[in-house]
Amino acid sequence: MAMVVDDTIIPELDFSSYTTTTTTSEDDYVCTWNDWSPVVDWEELSGGYDNFHDLIESMMDDNAELQGLSCNSVSSTDMMVIEEHMEMNSSSSGSDGGIDDFKGLRLVHLLMAAAEALTGVNKSRELARVILVRLKELVSPTDGSNMERLAAHFTDALQGLLDGACGLHNKHTLTNGPHHHHRDDHHPTDVLAAFQLLQDMSPYVKFGHFTANQAILEAVAHDRRVHIVDHDIMEGIQWASLMQALVSRKDGPPAPHLRITAISRGGSCRRSIGTVQETGRRLVAFAASIGQPFSFHQCRLDSDETFRPSVLKLVKGEALVFNCMLHLPHFNYRTPESVTSFLSGAKTLNPRLVTLVEEEVGPRSEGGFMGRFMDSLHHYSAMYDSLEAGFPMQGRARALVERVFFGPRIAGSLARIYRARGEEESCSWGEWLSAVGFHPIKISFANHCQAKLLLGLFNDGYMGEELANNRLVLGWKSRRLLSVSVWTSSDFDL
Amino acid sequence: MFHSKKPATMNSHDRPMCVQGDSGLVLTTDPKPRLRWTVELHERFVDAVTQLGGPDKATPKTIMRVMGVKGLTLYHLKSHLQKFRLGKQPHKEFNDHSIKDASALDLQRNTASSSGIMARSMNDSNFHFTDAIRMQMEVQRRLHEQLEVQRHLQLRIEAQGKYMQTILEKACQTLAGENMAASGSYKGGGNQGVSDNIGAMKDFGSPLLNFPSLQDLNIYGGDQLDLQVQHNMDRSSPVLHDGFMPSNNDHNMCGGLGKKRPINPYGSGKSPLMWSDDHLHLQELGTTTTTTTSSCLGSQQDDQIHIDRGTDMESMSEMYETKPILSGNAMGEKKFDASAKLERPSPRRAPVSADHRINNPAAANTMPQGRNSPFG
Repeated sequence: MAMVVDDTIIPELDFSSYTTTTTTSEDDYVCTWNDWSPVVDWEELSGGYDNFHDLIESMMDDNAELQGLSCNSVSSTDMMVIEEHMEMNSSSSGSDGGIDDFKGLRLVHLLMAAAEALTGVNKSRELARVILVRLKELVSPTDGSNMERLAAHFTDALQGLLDGACGLHNKHTLTNGPHHHHRDDHHPTDVLAAFQLLQDMSPYVKFGHFTANQAILEAVAHDRRVHIVDHDIMEGIQWASLMQALVSRKDGPPAPHLRITAISRGGSCRRSIGTVQETGRRLVAFAASIGQPFSFHQCRLDSDETFRPSVLKLVKGEALVFNCMLHLPHFNYRTPESVTSFLSGAKTLNPRLVTLVEEEVGPRSEGGFMGRFMDSLHHYSAMYDSLEAGFPMQGRARALVERVFFGPRIAGSLARIYRARGEEESCSWGEWLSAVGFHPIKISFANHCQAKLLLGLFNDGYMGEELANNRLVLGWKSRRLLSVSVWTSSDFDL
Repeated sequence: MFHSKKPATMNSHDRPMCVQGDSGLVLTTDPKPRLRWTVELHERFVDAVTQLGGPDKATPKTIMRVMGVKGLTLYHLKSHLQKFRLGKQPHKEFNDHSIKDASALDLQRNTASSSGIMARSMNDSNFHFTDAIRMQMEVQRRLHEQLEVQRHLQLRIEAQGKYMQTILEKACQTLAGENMAASGSYKGGGNQGVSDNIGAMKDFGSPLLNFPSLQDLNIYGGDQLDLQVQHNMDRSSPVLHDGFMPSNNDHNMCGGLGKKRPINPYGSGKSPLMWSDDHLHLQELGTTTTTTTSSCLGSQQDDQIHIDRGTDMESMSEMYETKPILSGNAMGEKKFDASAKLERPSPRRAPVSADHRINNPAAANTMPQGRNSPFG
């Protein structure tokens, strides 16, 4: 935890100019907190005080250990001085790193306080509301440091929870704050621009796509017909590179016939079907341009978003592949029930291969909502930092990506952990696949190599890691963010 | 003991220059006489080494003492022991040597005991030999595989970039439609932003243009890699560039560096980067237009820029020169920051990319597309 905090939230935290050697007692903390947020009546926390306090304390300790500077050594009077200092600088969004970092830490604390007030033992919606008001004064999703923008999105997300508009299906009721948008609320060109930027600025999208594709290529190396069932095809960008690879492959029959069946959301989402059709046309055009025999199908989920394997048209002798990209940054959220139905449907059809991309989260069992909340904060701050480290100049571009993709993602994931009260099922989809009888397939040397080369094109902080032989994890510094795993159904021995 | 045996002269016929000394040692007639290690002599050597507890324990001095052959010097023993020790490892030089020895042995195989020992040692070194070859082949296979992977990765990135471009073009066309309806209204305000936009684009685009060059991967030597990339480009261009994007011919004709067809700025030549950044720019300015109108505004500015460029630029080299002039004023510090940043991670990066762009027509073809260009 300590490492993560250091790497992702408050880089180069430096208290040196403010420290004295005074030691403080517990009382000083209380003082400090009162000083920090004059608007908030901290006495309200009296009941759940211990819990809350411990969290903050652990937070402070984490930083202290790492920096070799104890926060305990900051006396309350010094804190007050800093507070004034910050107030002075806050309008000019100080370029001084120390101030920025300090503000970052303060934002984290305020967010934690708000989350705690919202969900803790001693719930106080009023307190949460007040803290959020204060937070909104401090941050904006478009300006300021990474931490400030991140805090802005978390603030919006918490506000959404507070207003009870946390449902994913009634997103249009979210009317608070000018910046609170879901992906679909953005203009399509914004989404597209953000998508393009995301691809160029980070390896997240390509890592998932290329690793999965390489596994597919290896699994169907000698087949004449390949059928891929794609869980969420989106723009279909994953398949351009696969087609290219199929056309240029040396061994095996040249350019096998490729069939892709896209699963589109059923029911009310007419727009989704239109998008999938559009993607189909584009893929057909692309395939034709490079001479790849190709056909495109789409099939709908049921109205409750469950997948029925019987709707698939299967041809005997084709290699069947299920592709399941779940949490790439630009993807829409699908409910666990929907994913489960897709994957269990896959199981009944004995696919040659299942490729799975999912988000890596911290240990789920501990901490309830607050634990998950902090985990989420770490996760996204790692993502923000990874984008910033690669492209420090493109603040506005990053802000667009964040607004279009990460903001809604943050809101969605907080809403889910809020509703689940931190008690949702505690296993990854990979574990789930393993539990229902899929067998892991080893990640090949070539695939490994490709992932490494790909990450080499981006910033140094990205790391690839192989876990359990069939899973490649992409991380930023010490934080795991995304993983690709490959599986086969039991009836095949590869 | 050695003398009691028949001296090993059997092989002297193929070495007419060899002379058998008093002690039975076969020496060359070179000015600096070298010892010929006959089978018998080697057998005695091996016996001595074994007696002394193996090649690692035995020293030339102790061996000399144990062997007790007159005329055999420390110098001879040292080098022979060295080779003998190396024979235990897969060492190429020694393997060659031992093969020679082994064939010589076949010619002169006369004693059962010695051939037994030699056969064992020969098998041993043979084993090492094949082992070494296998290892070497494995290394080469891996290296080859990595190169293949690298080549494929490049092609895949290009393919993905191409595909992305079609999506963006479609969006641009849609935007153009919307643009028609809203045109004109914001033009005045937009002019101020034109130079800024270019500056912003440069600032924005240059790192992106340069970063994903596969040449930067420091896995192999540069020359080989350049060839490889060149090869990639050649290979991929007929398939992807011409096949999928017929409009790329235009870029070929005009050198393709950022030049857009003035007639239809929303066609394939339209830089998605510029478009998206206009967008950002306006949002940052706090223009309180709707998303659509701001996009349109951006597109209009874009349009103007291209017309300007189109008129005074004829060749690729000219474009290289005029580009900074066009945008220089607006770039300010930011641009310098960007280039400084580029140099930091890899000194090779910037020059290599530049070469890549200039020398390689296929690469140049992909470059002008702005942000997505490195992917083809």
